[in-house]
Amino acid sequence: MTVRILIVDDALFMRTLLRDIFEKQGWEVVGEAENGQEAVEQYRRLKPDLVTMDIVMPEKNGLDALWEITSEYPEAAVVMCSALGQDNLVLQAVQYGARDFIVKPVDEDRLLEVVHRILEAPEAER
Amino acid sequence: MDMAKYRALFLSESRDHLNNLVRQVVGLEQDPTNHDGIDAAFREAHSIKGMAASMGFQRTADLAHHLEDQMDRFRQGGSVPASGVDHLLEGVDLLEGLLDDIADEKPEREIKGYLAGENPVVPEEEEASPTLPVSEEKEVPVCHLMLHLAPEAEAPSARLLLLARELQRLGELTKTEPGLEALERGEGEFRLEAWLRTELSPSRLEELLSSFIDVSHVRVNLGDTSTENREEEARTVRVRTDLLDRFIRLTGELITNRTLLQDAQKNQDWLQVRDGLNQLSRMVTDLHYHVLQVRMMPLQAVTDRLPRIVRELARKQGKQIRLSLEGEELELDRGILEELADPLMHLLRNSVDHGIAQQGEIHLRAWREKDQALIEIADNGRGIDPEAVREKAIENGLLTAVQARNLRDIDLLSYICHPGFSTAGEVTETSGRGVGMDVVKTAVDRLGGVLHIESELGVGTRFVLKLPLSVAIVRVLLVECKGHLMAMPITRVLRTLELERDQLQSSGKQLMIPLEDELIPLLSLRKALQMPARPMNSPVPIVLAEIRGRKVGLVVDRLAGQQEVFVQPVPYPIQQLEGTSGCTILGDGRVVFLLDLQGLFLPASTPVVTSED
Repeated sequence: MTVRILIVDDALFMRTLLRDIFEKQGWEVVGEAENGQEAVEQYRRLKPDLVTMDIVMPEKNGLDALWEITSEYPEAAVVMCSALGQDNLVLQAVQYGARDFIVKPVDEDRLLEVVHRILEAPEAER
Repeated sequence: MDMAKYRALFLSESRDHLNNLVRQVVGLEQDPTNHDGIDAAFREAHSIKGMAASMGFQRTADLAHHLEDQMDRFRQGGSVPASGVDHLLEGVDLLEGLLDDIADEKPEREIKGYLAGENPVVPEEEEASPTLPVSEEKEVPVCHLMLHLAPEAEAPSARLLLLARELQRLGELTKTEPGLEALERGEGEFRLEAWLRTELSPSRLEELLSSFIDVSHVRVNLGDTSTENREEEARTVRVRTDLLDRFIRLTGELITNRTLLQDAQKNQDWLQVRDGLNQLSRMVTDLHYHVLQVRMMPLQAVTDRLPRIVRELARKQGKQIRLSLEGEELELDRGILEELADPLMHLLRNSVDHGIAQQGEIHLRAWREKDQALIEIADNGRGIDPEAVREKAIENGLLTAVQARNLRDIDLLSYICHPGFSTAGEVTETSGRGVGMDVVKTAVDRLGGVLHIESELGVGTRFVLKLPLSVAIVRVLLVECKGHLMAMPITRVLRTLELERDQLQSSGKQLMIPLEDELIPLLSLRKALQMPARPMNSPVPIVLAEIRGRKVGLVVDRLAGQQEVFVQPVPYPIQQLEGTSGCTILGDGRVVFLLDLQGLFLPASTPVVTSED
């Protein structure tokens, strides 16, 4: 089964890095968004299996985008990508319905572990 | 004799050691060649073994001995294989079960299966343990869970919240500690206690939960409240009612004092302010003293059983040894006493095993000197042979032949506290390998104390532990470097002095101070703290201290006096800084760090003062 992923990050470098990690797994990156506003719009259009969401971004930040996505689609699987020391933002994100989080610099194994766990979870909501 | 008292102490201490052991083993999984980790894990197992043996819990002692052997093998091999980690963790689980048995006053469970090594996992019968609620209606049982996060886990509150969410999928989560709301406020630390009503078996739960991200350790028990109550008990103390009455009276007096000061301020009556402050200071001293009393226990609590243990140990080896005690009514902080039980045992064992050949006496004496407690353990045995220590130190690569030759005997003795050092040829159940001395030194250091060793061949050996009376409130020496105030526990300071520059001598490039008949190397606190160097003041302010058994002179910018302070742990995330052991807030609001000299002056990068400074 292929996995359809939406990558949200304002840095091209991060998006490329994440894209490479996912494509190596044979997964499909169906969209990239540079800010929260684009993220919400693309989510509605693409309905991806998984979203990786940066927190600090211009226009609309990751928390607000997460909130909008999960209120509209409670089944959305969103993984937050935070920087070191953003414990409170991460905590907030978990309460807004983020499925999990990783802390940059991104460790490939850990990211994949997080993603696998979410995809394999026998979610009642899904 | 009240064995329950020791059992509680034994259990709480063993559980601490066990937790540390788990941490070390888990760390070794990531970094299998970490020598310090292997040494530390070895010491933890060793500590449990020693305590269990002296309490007469044979299976627990045997299992700990087995784990210790494993660690020793890994130490010699230089690394821990992955299968070794699994085996160790299984052993740790079993050890945990044994401690539970002891806590429940049940016979210790079987360990033969594990020791045989083929199928070492805890046998099925454990699940049918007597705590299983026997109920006709097949009620869904409640499990008690204890989850620990890896210390490197990011955003622990968020992680615990996610874990709690996972738990909700596995059953009915009846309670968590900290509660979910506290977690949402970000008040989680690195552990979560939970009560879960679930059909899943404890072993299945453990398996599921330990695979979760950032979870370092999980313990699951059937049954709901027993553990909770037991842990509650360990956190409580008995307080004499007259002491409580005293607190109430003092509170009343403080309230009156506040009114007096408020009035004085309103009337701008400075004389009355002064009287009020004098009163306040008297009351605070009084309160301080009595609050400490609550935490104080006589040394007797840990020395009571020692004479019997010594006699039995000696008899096993066909020796005749008598232990006499003096000053055991000396009162010490509970925290210190708990840390002390183990080191004392090790010192006595060393004396029995290695000190006294056939017949002799060990004298344990405790007394108080100002705000320090001193405990001396002296035997009239054969003494430590400095030549044997020299040879062994060279053999183990701790010293070069030249260094060993130049060290004075008394300085040389501190090397017996080095991990893995031993002059004893054989390994016995209770000591040997030199591990014991390592444990002693580490414990004394952790308490902010100092260990002195004196020994004379054919006359005997004398250990002196110099300890603070209380861990929380200590007297410190304040020093200043580049405008920053820092503190060191006064127990670690031998003396302070100020010398003119021309009184310093140089040996090569290194500057030394001549003191009595020895030359003491000068180290720079500025350099150790990576602050910019600058010309030394004249006279040069110097703190004479002992680091890893060697006298050194620390050059500081200014000596800023002594003070009694309330030490608090350094909060996350700055607790990771090497070289600090706590912090305190001064009267003017300034935060001052307590320096941990051992951590600050690591042997690899000793910041010596050279003639160019």
